[in-house]
Amino acid sequence: MIKEAVNYIKNIKGECMKKILCFMSMILAVVFVGCGGKEEGGASKTKVYEYALVTDVGTIDDKSFNQGAWEGVQAYTKEKNLPAKYYKPIEKSDEAYMTSMRLAIKGGAKVVVCPGFLFENPVWNLQQEYPDVKFIILDGAPHSGNYKYDIKDNTVAVFYADQQAGFLAGYAAVKDGYRNLGFMGGIAVPPVVNFGYGYVQGADYAAKELGIDDVKIKYTYLGSFGPSPENMAKAASWYNGDTDVIFACAGGAGNSVMKAAETAGKAMIGVDVDQSSESESVITSSMKNLGKSVHDILNLYEKGEFPGGQMLRLGAESGNVGLPMETSRFKKFTKDDYDMIYDKIANNEIEIQTNLIPEVTGLKVDKVQVELVK
Amino acid sequence: MSILYFLVQQTMFFSIPLLIVALGGMYSERSGIVNIALEGIMIMGAFVSVFFISSYNDAMNPQLLLILAVLVAGLSGGVFALFHAFASINLKADQVISGTALNMFAPAFAIFIARTFGGTQYIQFVDKFHIVKVPVLGSIPIVGRLFFQNAYITTYIGFLIFIVAAFVIKYTRFGLRLRSCGEHPQAADSVGINVYKIRYAGVFISGILAGIGGIAFVIPTSTNFDASVAGYGFLALAVLIFGQWRSNKIFIAAFFFGIMKTISSTYSGIPILKDLPIPNEIYKMAPYIATLVVLVFFSKKSQAPRAEGIPYDKGSR
Repeated sequence: MIKEAVNYIKNIKGECMKKILCFMSMILAVVFVGCGGKEEGGASKTKVYEYALVTDVGTIDDKSFNQGAWEGVQAYTKEKNLPAKYYKPIEKSDEAYMTSMRLAIKGGAKVVVCPGFLFENPVWNLQQEYPDVKFIILDGAPHSGNYKYDIKDNTVAVFYADQQAGFLAGYAAVKDGYRNLGFMGGIAVPPVVNFGYGYVQGADYAAKELGIDDVKIKYTYLGSFGPSPENMAKAASWYNGDTDVIFACAGGAGNSVMKAAETAGKAMIGVDVDQSSESESVITSSMKNLGKSVHDILNLYEKGEFPGGQMLRLGAESGNVGLPMETSRFKKFTKDDYDMIYDKIANNEIEIQTNLIPEVTGLKVDKVQVELVK
Repeated sequence: MSILYFLVQQTMFFSIPLLIVALGGMYSERSGIVNIALEGIMIMGAFVSVFFISSYNDAMNPQLLLILAVLVAGLSGGVFALFHAFASINLKADQVISGTALNMFAPAFAIFIARTFGGTQYIQFVDKFHIVKVPVLGSIPIVGRLFFQNAYITTYIGFLIFIVAAFVIKYTRFGLRLRSCGEHPQAADSVGINVYKIRYAGVFISGILAGIGGIAFVIPTSTNFDASVAGYGFLALAVLIFGQWRSNKIFIAAFFFGIMKTISSTYSGIPILKDLPIPNEIYKMAPYIATLVVLVFFSKKSQAPRAEGIPYDKGSR
């Protein structure tokens, strides 16, 4: 009996050992691969990351907001050979955002870049808790839970004139000969709405200049920022109708629109960053220069001129919005046309309505017909 | 009429991946192994094959490249599914848990590898695979425009897979054995069928098909792959259950889903539908409401394989 039991236990031990060994080797393999990745970055654990960025929803390489801002941080820190690091919150909530920001500060961050209006409340909380840390919030301003805005001296709120970028895109599209336009926004959040409104008004302005009144715009919000076959089919159905160009202001869902444009042999307009390299169907991109503005602010910080307590509005006058004319695929719209309209916007000669108007159908436009697709 | 053509063409992009993946699920489940890892396997298949495409983009004829990519996707999906087979057949683990593990592992793996080699998690590819019009067949009136224009070769591969898969499971010796292992493995074992081998084969085939479904999903609907198939693996699981684990019914279910999805996402471009006074939320809900209704009527006589989800143990008879 006893012998049997001992044998049995030995057997079990053998089995266990096998499994443990197997498990260990797997962990080792993972660690090896992991180390390989890190060495490339040239970072070790003891380093202090003075410049940090906390990502908004989406990834660091979203070809949009996070990436743009991160490129700004990197451009600056590489120039000066300083360490920088980004942190990704585990979920989309104020708590998770604050946890990541605290983590960044514990990691030695003196400047925390927060791209996106979702950071408004987290920044409001932490700017009081950490008066020595500087916060840069993009497309938003810190406010308390009941929307009392308060920008402390260690925080700068940056707003981009998205409506100007959208205006340029709509203007260029109509000037280039397009008459049936489309707009697909991700979700109706302030930046997206401003892009869309600007687009409509730009098209209207161009129609007025050309003296035409047959410009039509289909306008919708997809309800998501992610690529999906549904979004692709929706764009395809518009292209199958009479729509010739769609301005996709929808992050990853823009790739679904791009695909539909490719298959239909029609055109689309990218957003945030220059998307011309992703597809031949991208005629231009409605850009806001996130990288440059972050870089500029970090420069000011280094000189001791951090614009704390301020709300910066960056637009055409400081060269922070625009179309990438070198890579655009226009047929008629020229660089001169572009410079002319750009100057007008930069000098505030054109009044562009923003998201203070609740619905796109409430915009004052004369020449274009806007059809809101719900 | 041109709208009808358009709708049929779009339906293919939704239905074909669902069909292929659900057929894959059928092979696994009718051998007795629950496979909720379809989503993860789709991601893995799509990831490896898109990686393959982006590496050999200019090396050969695009259609040949796509066919090779389909093979690569099938192989990688099959190999990946073997993890599930090992856990649920040899280790007798809970099949839902090991399936979930695969689902969680695949996107993380795809992002990690893509970042390590490409710097970003997106793998871009240039779509040279789109067929504007199939030679000869595309010129047939009506039918040509319905099925042989604005298509991808994966559509036809999908139909081919359906025919072969339906034939094999219904009319071959292997198919019979597979089905018996899902219904009553002890009885199958008593007449000398190796249940473990058959179940391995079932899971491997399901991996192959799910992998192919992954590439059939990504190529027609996006310009890059970002480690996601938007939940279509789970939708395929729904199609499988909706289709009562039978190939013909799966075919009908996949196209039912496809048509409903197409209408719900394209109504804004179709004049007749757009002018109806129906809010868009109704359109978006339509596929799911229809599924619920149909399930209410048909779930009474569910034909799920009886031994599904139960690890086979020779000792217990």
